[in-house]
Amino acid sequence: VEPPEKPLQAEEWNKLREDFRSPEIFDEVMLNSMIRCNSPIEVAKSLLSHMAKRNGDIAYNVLIKYLTLCVQQGQVAEIRDVYDIMKVRFKILESGAYNLLIRGLSNSDQWRMALTVLEEAKKIMVPPRTCYESCIKAASRHQEMNLAFELYQEMLAKDVVPTLDVLQSFFDFSRGMKGAELQKQLFGILLYLRENQIYPHKTFMRSIKLWFESIPGENWRGNLTSIKDSGQCPVCKHQLEDSNLTEEEYSNLSERIIKDVIHGTDTFRKTSPKEFEAFQTFVENRLPFDIVIDGLNVSHVKSRKLQCQNLSDAVNSLAKDNARLLVLGRKHMLTNSSNWKREIMKEMENKADFFFAENISEDDAFLLYATLRSGKHCRFVTRDFLRDHKACLPDTVTRHLFRKWQRGHQIVNMLYKVQKKSFSSVFSQQPAFRYDCVVQTTGDTWHIPYKDVFEEKYSYQVPRKWLCIQQK
Amino acid sequence: MQCANMLLRKIVRSSVLPFAAQHGMKKDFFPLSRTLSLSLCLKQDKSCEPSEKLDLDEWKKVMKSGLQEDVSETVSEPKELSSLAAARETLEMWRLAGRAVPENISEEELKTFMECPSKSAKKKYLKYLHLRELHKKSHKRKMDEKRERRLKAQDEASNADEPKKSSFVYLSSKIMDQTYNWRAAQSMIFGQPLVFDMSYEKEMSVREVTNTVKQIVLGESFNRRTVDPFHIHFCNFQEDSLFHREFVKHYREAWGKLLITVTDKCYTEIFPKDKLIYLTADSPKVMKEFDHDKIYIIGSMVDKSIKTGVSLARAKRLGLETAALPLEKYLLWNTGGKNLTLDQMMHILLTLKDTADWKKALEFVPKRKYCGFVSTPIKELKKTLDLINTLKLGKRRGEVEKQFAKNHPKKYTLK
Repeated sequence: VEPPEKPLQAEEWNKLREDFRSPEIFDEVMLNSMIRCNSPIEVAKSLLSHMAKRNGDIAYNVLIKYLTLCVQQGQVAEIRDVYDIMKVRFKILESGAYNLLIRGLSNSDQWRMALTVLEEAKKIMVPPRTCYESCIKAASRHQEMNLAFELYQEMLAKDVVPTLDVLQSFFDFSRGMKGAELQKQLFGILLYLRENQIYPHKTFMRSIKLWFESIPGENWRGNLTSIKDSGQCPVCKHQLEDSNLTEEEYSNLSERIIKDVIHGTDTFRKTSPKEFEAFQTFVENRLPFDIVIDGLNVSHVKSRKLQCQNLSDAVNSLAKDNARLLVLGRKHMLTNSSNWKREIMKEMENKADFFFAENISEDDAFLLYATLRSGKHCRFVTRDFLRDHKACLPDTVTRHLFRKWQRGHQIVNMLYKVQKKSFSSVFSQQPAFRYDCVVQTTGDTWHIPYKDVFEEKYSYQVPRKWLCIQQK
Repeated sequence: MQCANMLLRKIVRSSVLPFAAQHGMKKDFFPLSRTLSLSLCLKQDKSCEPSEKLDLDEWKKVMKSGLQEDVSETVSEPKELSSLAAARETLEMWRLAGRAVPENISEEELKTFMECPSKSAKKKYLKYLHLRELHKKSHKRKMDEKRERRLKAQDEASNADEPKKSSFVYLSSKIMDQTYNWRAAQSMIFGQPLVFDMSYEKEMSVREVTNTVKQIVLGESFNRRTVDPFHIHFCNFQEDSLFHREFVKHYREAWGKLLITVTDKCYTEIFPKDKLIYLTADSPKVMKEFDHDKIYIIGSMVDKSIKTGVSLARAKRLGLETAALPLEKYLLWNTGGKNLTLDQMMHILLTLKDTADWKKALEFVPKRKYCGFVSTPIKELKKTLDLINTLKLGKRRGEVEKQFAKNHPKKYTLK
């Protein structure tokens, strides 16, 4: 339905209502379309008056819809009136109303009122992050940075994850301000990004850069750059943190993998205790390996070729430099079949160690175990993203560790054509990352990876672009 | 004067006013209140004036007018609410805001609601309660209608008053039950055992357990009605477990008289190991035909978030043979998990036992899950399906065709 352009009389509303195909929901439908068309507030008011006269009362959901319209148009006086009415009428409100009220009030000069509403909302629930966002933004817009940071800390304490918008607004509104406390707080935000492996997007990155450059008397300079594989920043020649895990992190991760990924709730789900034991002794007797290969995954790289040929290509190209290889597979690879030729398998066994798991076992779990047991230098080859194994890990900290380790140790193999005519495949390897892709600092430099677009990228991808900030 | 005002406010709220205003009675009806009658006068005059002079904030007055007495009533109440009451209050507000929230909620449900770990879990639980409430209501409405219709029919029948003659003996449900029980009793002596493994309780949420019990109850009742029922075993069944309580809830006093075997022992203790076959969708082995000498085990588990390999792990641990239904072989699978409900499994196994006809048996797989039965070998069908899909998407059309021509030079000629 089209909302009318100007306020109507009761009779006119009645007529519209009767013409509508289902009069009982007319009011709601009408208000919804008013919100959609952003109709003048007077029209909505006249409808409300009509409803009040007809029923002697206005339902809560109608009030909410009216409030939505007011917030949409920034009608602060109306918002306050509705709030007053609601407050006296109902003991408490629900999250939708609080959300709207806070959003509406925080954008006006009555923003302090939004804080009181927030306090009220806290009594019955943990406020959603959008509520905090509005309040924090309002406070920092009015240069009340302390208040804004207080709210921010409170939000973190309640496990409410802040939006990137909020974090960005801190940098935007602190521009040009001086103060050790403020600086500490903002560095704290950067460390928050580091700890949670969050990458700012381009506009956020720009806010960070501008803030650094605006600190009076500190002479920060920011440059956009991309980091080479060596891990050296081309601007400041500084070497980035390497991707190795610390001893503690490493042992922590291997422990978790064995406990949660391989055993999980039931060892039998992925393997069997007997098989796992056999694998353990097999690995312990031959340690350490340099590269562990997921045989089945590699064998499917090129669909045109025989599977064992694919695998043999991979083994041959990796077997240089006396690297100790371990190939993991399943028992069915041993039976001579059209895809698995016995001669080729025999030939490969000279170059690498092989372990064949039961056909119904999961070889990925073995891959992780063998690589982790071999030590920090060991890497593994598979195209699998290992998402399902990451999902078995219980907490985000361990998952981040897993991703970090994976970035540093996984070789994703690619087969590509050298020439157009002949399809001879060449096995190339994408080097595992040598530097760690997180926000990092040395005190007089900051390196911040950022992404070009706002959208979340895949969790296995890391940005290649960096912001380098140094103090001259 | 004050009293009169109060009275007036009440009248205003209880919608007498609009009625009065419409009929122009107000002048002699409200002689006391100046403000009100003034606004009413205005309203009366307005109807003939252009709409710009509408009192747009009138709704606020109406809303506020009813407020004072409400406030005076609530002030005396203690301000701090207990957490339960607060939750109830929040629910009420959500209901007013038009969310999917049940109208009535019991103390127990309210506690479950508060124990939900996250906001989305709360929302889901409320939606579940809401839908359940709706179902109950519509069911009740239908039953009432039915009763009315029946009464009417009875009335008419009594008017006609003609004794019916029939050459068939009337079988009451009691006699039917006796027959069924007789068969079930026979099956307990001579029938082929069918095991339900009740050891998954820890793996499931409360709602999943209740669903499991519902499915088993359905399956059991179907089993009882067949010509040649299975001898049902509930193995690994713990006394006073959630399973037990749920079964008692369903069967009431009939639970003790059920013609099935319930035991806390494992099936491996009761039957020889080489006769057991664990049915699980994760099994690498596919069932070829129904074996009348084997004992099939069904895991009593509903996993809404599909947990792969749980029952396969159990079979592996005990060193049992496993099997999966040949769904892929006979059906062109469309969507959905390959794990079927327990009553569907019961239907399928019973049909297989009686007829050994896979097509008939697999009729019980829900229709939404497959496109149709396979008449040609599945591999070829799949290939054509893949081809159709690629052609539909229009991607790399030439490439696909070339590849096909290359791979299957004789079998496939593209039109």
